[in-house]
Amino acid sequence: MADVAIETVTLTIDGVPVTALKGTLVIEAARQMGVMIPHFCYHPKLKPDANCRMCVVEIEKVPKLQTSCSTPVAEGMVVRTATTVVNEAHKSILEFILANHPLDCPVCDQGGRCDLQDFSHESTPTTSRFVEVKRIFQKEYFSPLIETEMNRCVQCLRCVRYCDEVMDVKALAPSGRGTMTEIKHFSIHELDCEFCGGCVQICPVGAITSRLSMYEFRPWMLKRADTICTYCGDGCQITIQTKENELIEVNSSHGAGRNNGDLCPRGFFGYHVSTHPDRLQHPLIRRNGALVQTTWEEALEFIAETCLSLKLAHGPTAFAGLIASRCTNEDLYVFQKFMRLVIGTNQLDSSARYGHINGVRALLRVQGTHRWTIAFEDIVSAHALLLVGTNITETNPITGLKVKEAVKKRGAVLVTVEALQPAIGTISNITNLAAHHVTAHPERFGDAVLGLIKGVVEEGLVDPSLTQRAPEYVKAISEAVRCLPWSAIEQATGSTSSALRAAARAFADAPRAVILVGQGVLRAPGGSGVTTTLLDLLLLTGHHGRPGCGLAPLAEENNDQGAVEMGTVAEFLPGPGDLTDQAVRERIAGLWKEELPQTPGRTLMEILDDARAGTVKVLFVVGENPVGTLPHAARAKEALERLELLVCQELFLTETAALADVVLPACSYAEKSGTFTNTEGHVQSVRQAIEPVGESRPDWEILSALSVLLGYPIEYREPREILKEIRSLISGYGLLGPAPIPPRPDAAVVEGYLKKGFAEDVTSRYSLSSSTDRQAGNLTLVVAQSLFHSGKLSTRAKGLLELQKAGALALNPADATLLGIAEGDQVRLSNARGQMTTSVQVRDRVPEGQAVFPEHFDQEVRRLLSVSPDPQTGAPYFKTTQVKVEKV
Amino acid sequence: MLLEKYTDHINEILSRYPVRRSALLPLLNLAQREDGYVSESAMKEIARILRLTPSQVYEVVTFYTMLNLKPIGKFHIQVCRSLMCALVGSDTLVGWLQARLGIRPRETTPDRLFTLSTVECLASCGTGPMMQVNEEYYEQLTEEKVDRILADLKRDGTCSLKSGPFMFPQPELQQVKR
Repeated sequence: MADVAIETVTLTIDGVPVTALKGTLVIEAARQMGVMIPHFCYHPKLKPDANCRMCVVEIEKVPKLQTSCSTPVAEGMVVRTATTVVNEAHKSILEFILANHPLDCPVCDQGGRCDLQDFSHESTPTTSRFVEVKRIFQKEYFSPLIETEMNRCVQCLRCVRYCDEVMDVKALAPSGRGTMTEIKHFSIHELDCEFCGGCVQICPVGAITSRLSMYEFRPWMLKRADTICTYCGDGCQITIQTKENELIEVNSSHGAGRNNGDLCPRGFFGYHVSTHPDRLQHPLIRRNGALVQTTWEEALEFIAETCLSLKLAHGPTAFAGLIASRCTNEDLYVFQKFMRLVIGTNQLDSSARYGHINGVRALLRVQGTHRWTIAFEDIVSAHALLLVGTNITETNPITGLKVKEAVKKRGAVLVTVEALQPAIGTISNITNLAAHHVTAHPERFGDAVLGLIKGVVEEGLVDPSLTQRAPEYVKAISEAVRCLPWSAIEQATGSTSSALRAAARAFADAPRAVILVGQGVLRAPGGSGVTTTLLDLLLLTGHHGRPGCGLAPLAEENNDQGAVEMGTVAEFLPGPGDLTDQAVRERIAGLWKEELPQTPGRTLMEILDDARAGTVKVLFVVGENPVGTLPHAARAKEALERLELLVCQELFLTETAALADVVLPACSYAEKSGTFTNTEGHVQSVRQAIEPVGESRPDWEILSALSVLLGYPIEYREPREILKEIRSLISGYGLLGPAPIPPRPDAAVVEGYLKKGFAEDVTSRYSLSSSTDRQAGNLTLVVAQSLFHSGKLSTRAKGLLELQKAGALALNPADATLLGIAEGDQVRLSNARGQMTTSVQVRDRVPEGQAVFPEHFDQEVRRLLSVSPDPQTGAPYFKTTQVKVEKV
Repeated sequence: MLLEKYTDHINEILSRYPVRRSALLPLLNLAQREDGYVSESAMKEIARILRLTPSQVYEVVTFYTMLNLKPIGKFHIQVCRSLMCALVGSDTLVGWLQARLGIRPRETTPDRLFTLSTVECLASCGTGPMMQVNEEYYEQLTEEKVDRILADLKRDGTCSLKSGPFMFPQPELQQVKR
């Protein structure tokens, strides 16, 4: 952003000289110097509307009062915010509002934190000249989660504008006119939207409130804990509000965290998971085939004894561990230290293996960083954005908001390569904002990327300095894409060569360009290769290494990035440093004062293979659920049943925990402290909001207790102590909170890649995916993330279940017509592996030939899926398959 | 479906505006002409044509009083109740119509023939009290005239007392001039 000249103006507010950036609104300039001008309709995130007139001020030489929310500062301007005239104006506007606003503050959930109350209190009106009957709207049911009380509405339209300008959902309609304007959805229909909770948060009064906590509290009873949401990699700061250890509500104050106060349905309505009645309260132990309640002492002693005897008999290679990347960095760190030092094995892996590792490996290979080289701010200020396989609204909603802001407010050019197509729906669709869009087949994102690179080469957009610097690299890639016929690319992508060339030009011509890669790419075969090829695109167009430019793989789970950095994946030590890197090993061994195990790491799928083969006999599983995640074809259950000891640390009795010999109740994120590292590499504090449920304990504490019993104590008094150790070992953990200093690409690694590194797989990466044309009548089934859930965890959140409580197959209208299926019909899905029945949703955004099913309800679907591990990264791919769909 | 029936007309409307959304009012007008009111399915279809959400169409329909959200009778009687007409007895006129039709403003007779509305100025202030029935004006109304108009409309579907908008100066005066 250094290319913008900063112009300032000086003005006087209430007699104090102020310097503000040119273009600043008077209300903001006043706020910056500590003067709060009362307002309802103004909000820093929204365009000025100036409809409430509350923010009027006196400006010298202007005959009438001016709305400070829509007046930009000017040189020499003299503003007065607290004169008799202004105060009189405020009073009369409040009088008008209170002519209709009911005085039901005692039963209003906003009472105590209401702008109207505060401003009324300031101007102390005790009487009203209005004797007319107050306006009364007929009470209408609005939605299962959001309540409207329109009599309280001050008609500032913040909710409507937020829904449009920020969320791009446009679900709210101010219906009617004048005093009788009320906020509705569509006619008499109940609200159907993204349920981001933005309208609830932005309402200055109690007109729109959350039904999840209706009438349960008064704001001053609530205890607040600022922590980080656990439902995706965006790492939004949330404030969990509790009353007597009971979860009441979640919100996020404006300007807070990486999300700037914006949330998604998972963050806003998904908080009841922690206090779900099914939470494990006590340790369980298997006796006579059944899991029965036991004490911590007995459970831990049993584990320790069994471990010691098995270790004596089979050595440490008979042990392995899996951990979920939902855990805190402290849990992850202690877990790998436990496995490496106490057990003595490197056979451990985490759920970052499911896809995030592909992005990290590509980044490491090409530019030597394991993190993004950009931050959210760079997305917002980019001139061109390329989204590949992200489905960003549903997977990483808040990163999606940054993209929306870049496009809608700053005019960035958006290029999307997505397995969805532009269509207006009840949730926003990022492809609607795209200037160039390629509807890619979910297994062929790579082909579209090759089309873009061919466009770059043929349009002569290759950076001349790169051609000088690395002639062989440019030559090899140019020749490789020249060999790809446009006809084949057009057939594979469904886009014309001219469209792809235009998209390539738009991307290459932008001064600052950012690429976001999503699960569609990272969790599909060749994920690491396609990400590498996208880095080629950045290199070729000369964007790579430029400030504000970069490639960003989107993490699915809240701490995927942390799991990699803590060394809880098969190939990495904390850092992450390569498992075989002698210098790293010595450094860590020096700190731990102990030699590291020499055995190679094993990935998730390899560990399961080893268990099935009987070489792994003991498995520690922390929050991970391979049986409930992998398709039946992975035979995870069979593998786990062969183990001699399976220990699970879990919140709930999952499919995996149900097979365990010992189940230890763990704390959820709301009950512990620590840190999460979000997708952009920000380390943020997780703070305890409630007391642990039942006898549950934080994961690190359980592992620490076990280590003592196993005769190799790794003890910490509190998570802060673990963080201290992490800090001494891993860079980037010194500063917590939003302080975006992204790393720079390592020039030596980039040079190595350009000289030699690229060559090893350039032929395989630069060939079109082998034709997997589906058979006539078959559809490509995509098991994808839904906006309303995250993994299986959120399916225990009562708020989110109101929004989506079962899976349904989303089809394109044309396919539905062809199959004679209408919304709500039952269909049978079948392929060689099995069959299942489900109901159908007809959705315009699903491209023809595809059928999308939410992964959160995939119990049945997993029967139909095959699984194949990536030859290089071992990431298991199982998200797409071919199915026959018939009406039943 | 509107788009199937009026493809060319709709395309012509869309071609008038650089921003697609601007075609909203002409399309709503088209929908209302088709059914007498703007139905939910019409709002959804228009939303689809203009790439808006149904809510965005709905809010516009509710803002304009001339767009009806409910089915109306065959004859939509809109009585001017603005100042000029009120001075010459629009209240009595509305009262008379209410008594004759047995309905109140914003209601429709059970035979679905008449819907009664009161509206703001119809720019016929020189000839009040007046009302508009569908596209026609009826001016300088008296109770007898109203009875005849209602009877004619019921019987013939039209009435010879109708006058185009802008009857001023009055017909007899125009004749004198000639």
